Amino acid sequence: MDANSNSPEPQIEIQIESQIFDSLRLELRRGCLILAVLAQLRAEHYGYTLRKALADQGLAIEESTLYPLLRRLETQGLLTSQWREEDKRNKRFYKLSLAGETILAQLLAEWNSINDSVNNILHHSDQRQS
Amino acid sequence: MNTTNDLLARYLQAIGDHLPAATRDDVLAELRANLQAQLDDRSEELNRPLTDPEVAAILKQHGRPILVAARYLPQQSLIGPAIFPYYLMTLRKAAPFAIIIIFLANCSNILFVHTLPELIAGILRAIGLLIPDLLIFAAWITVGFAIAEYVYTHHDAKPFGLSWDPTKLPAVKPQFKGKSRASRIADLIFHCAWMVYVLEIPAHPYLILGPGELYLHMLNARPAPVWHLFYAAVLFLLFFQLVTKITAVFVPAGLWQTPLNFATKVLSVLFSAWLALTNVYFVPTGPATNLKFLADVNHWINVSFRIFLIFVILDLIVEGWKLRPSFQAKRLVF
Repeated sequence: MDANSNSPEPQIEIQIESQIFDSLRLELRRGCLILAVLAQLRAEHYGYTLRKALADQGLAIEESTLYPLLRRLETQGLLTSQWREEDKRNKRFYKLSLAGETILAQLLAEWNSINDSVNNILHHSDQRQS
Repeated sequence: MNTTNDLLARYLQAIGDHLPAATRDDVLAELRANLQAQLDDRSEELNRPLTDPEVAAILKQHGRPILVAARYLPQQSLIGPAIFPYYLMTLRKAAPFAIIIIFLANCSNILFVHTLPELIAGILRAIGLLIPDLLIFAAWITVGFAIAEYVYTHHDAKPFGLSWDPTKLPAVKPQFKGKSRASRIADLIFHCAWMVYVLEIPAHPYLILGPGELYLHMLNARPAPVWHLFYAAVLFLLFFQLVTKITAVFVPAGLWQTPLNFATKVLSVLFSAWLALTNVYFVPTGPATNLKFLADVNHWINVSFRIFLIFVILDLIVEGWKLRPSFQAKRLVF
């Protein structure tokens, strides 16, 4: 048997790489989630249906992240909310406010600009390599 | 109440325990609506009522109550990122001064002890008190910066150092490259000259006492035997240093020199402690000696050596601190 086959070092390296990826992924997603939530709330939703709608479009968010986020965005004036009965149950529906629409437009412009820049960098980098 | 509602009510109650009263009912009502919708959805998928384990699994996936509640609380930090670098810098810059002041204050009792065990106990006590006293010092600094953080976040105050001028930054420090060979040779020559001077002292006491030698004659006193032993110890130390200085001429300063310098300082502390514990430095040469005056001279020399001992111990602690292994937090740097 190879002497190195039992070495824990490759496993540790993989674990560290995984931790680094998770940490970077979390940072990358944090801003994108807010953008996605604001965009999705151009139509009215309550917490659970909003989460489902985002998940259906490939952006799953934990409940414990999404529901407090909605309250924070409302406190910042980007969302409005109202309690309303639906299916014999009281639910809190959220919708983008006027201020939220303005901020969303600005964030989308920023998002597109970043996206274009990253694509340009990747494009030039690919050209240099080939 | 059915088991689904019971589990949900217990879960919400557990979350509510960690929420502020002002928002508790509102948050719990919203959470109840969302969780109930999720449970109903799952029940519809399965086309049957949910079992206890299934409800428990959904609640478990939602998160531990205390952590779920924490997400609804305003994000707080004792000292935020805008002020934290200044907090760290203050701790680093103030720590050496705090160590010196605290150690000197705790060492004051050394001046009044008379025996070796009392002296050792006094020094150990001063060293032992350093850590709790430093923690108290750090706590006060932390409280000060926590107040600054509160003012900064609640009163829209400007963070420190918002306006700074790159032209006022300090000049680049010259890189230390170690002593040159010429400097190391000069160091050896001076050390040899110093040794010759010290070796001449027994034959010519005025070299160390100066005009004090005449004063000793007038006082009818002479150095006590302890100086002979001390002289031998000093010669040993000087020869030890001679060997290291000769070595340094041929082998540039490396890792070996740091522990060697530290060992020299330890020896200095031991010799100083020895002198501090000696009560008689000068003895009478005949019946004409003013014994009371001589006793006063011996007393004040002893006090001087005790004060000197405090400083050499402090120096040793500072050197020991510099030798500590440096730990660096593993973190991502972008």
